[in-house]
Amino acid sequence: MSSAVLLSLHQQLKKCFETLIANKSVWDSELAECKPLMSSLGNLAVQLKALKNVQIANTPLANFPSLQERLHYKLSLAVDAVLGKLAEKMDALQRLRDAISQQVSAVFQFYEKNTDTLDIAGCVSRSAICPSISDMLEWLQDADRCYRLQLVQRRNLLQALIPSDLTLMETAPKRWESLHSASGEERIADALCQVSFFMETE
Amino acid sequence: MSESTTPGKKGNLTGSARKLKDDAADWHNLIQKWERLNDEGSTIATKIVNLGMSKKSDTEADVVMEGGSVKAGDISDNLKRSNQELEEECVKLQDVVDKMANILSKMEKMVQAERGICELEAFQCGEKRAAPLFHTWSTQQFVEVSSKLYESYKQELALKKTILQELAHTANADLSMVYLSSWLYQPYIEDSGKLLLESLLLETGHRPL
Repeated sequence: MSSAVLLSLHQQLKKCFETLIANKSVWDSELAECKPLMSSLGNLAVQLKALKNVQIANTPLANFPSLQERLHYKLSLAVDAVLGKLAEKMDALQRLRDAISQQVSAVFQFYEKNTDTLDIAGCVSRSAICPSISDMLEWLQDADRCYRLQLVQRRNLLQALIPSDLTLMETAPKRWESLHSASGEERIADALCQVSFFMETE
Repeated sequence: MSESTTPGKKGNLTGSARKLKDDAADWHNLIQKWERLNDEGSTIATKIVNLGMSKKSDTEADVVMEGGSVKAGDISDNLKRSNQELEEECVKLQDVVDKMANILSKMEKMVQAERGICELEAFQCGEKRAAPLFHTWSTQQFVEVSSKLYESYKQELALKKTILQELAHTANADLSMVYLSSWLYQPYIEDSGKLLLESLLLETGHRPL
């Protein structure tokens, strides 16, 4: 087994985990910022629903001209504004996911190019401070897939929202929260713990 | 006429131009103050609705727990306290509406003053002055912008007064919600109002061209 190739692969893995660590914290904070946006979206849906249920003509507000339409317009504008902000967040998440994917696929490409020089025994051997190459590749792939899935699911949730289905919008915050994958996050955190010694070695 | 017609330079404006420029600044400040009051009022209104809801559920609980372990005295104490709290919040909201009414009366005075300026100008220079006071607007246009802004705030205040009267007495949750969103989103203050204000500020030189 060529030690030069092994060294280079280790370096690439290190770089990849570094990217993962950096992007993970940004990802988490971006996602945390989506939460209040989602709850205001749900809140606006409740308000729109209430407006739909109330017959303004039978209330003390009857004398205000076109109140229903005007309020509906204002609320719709507010919904648009929130959705716009969420779309920005989704773009930010997409960029983070792209950065992670790019690094991970670079490592895999390097590995595949050099499979001739890397024997199985070398790839699966591990020490107290250094996990095996195969383990690390697997963790990276898992992390990549986790972010990929998260992004698709969350974007899908937002794209499925339509102005006529207020119940869908009202339940969006709850469904958004339910997309949180505790096990996926935990696996990524575990993997990062397992490579912490490896990251410190020169 | 000895009025300076160069906008943007503070201190050398006199007469109608001075008055119109000061009014423009006042519009800006009053509207900002209004927005702050609106947010303040919205928080209070939400509290009122929540108190009303919890009061309702308290009295319902009262029925359910009849003969239960909870003493009737506790409940009436609770009710008394929440009633007191409700009243306090209503007074606060009344205060906000009063302040808004005050702002509106200042707006009205400005509209009247600008009408006066227009009439004065007609009296002094015939139908129309030769050069505009600032960049391009005729004096009449200032009156039009001010009146439009004033009308929207007037309608909004009427809406808020109605909300103030009804808010604490509504048992219908949906209607309470409509009151709250009407208060917060101010349906009669249109986006065009923002544009009018900005163009007013631009015309009078408060905003750089």
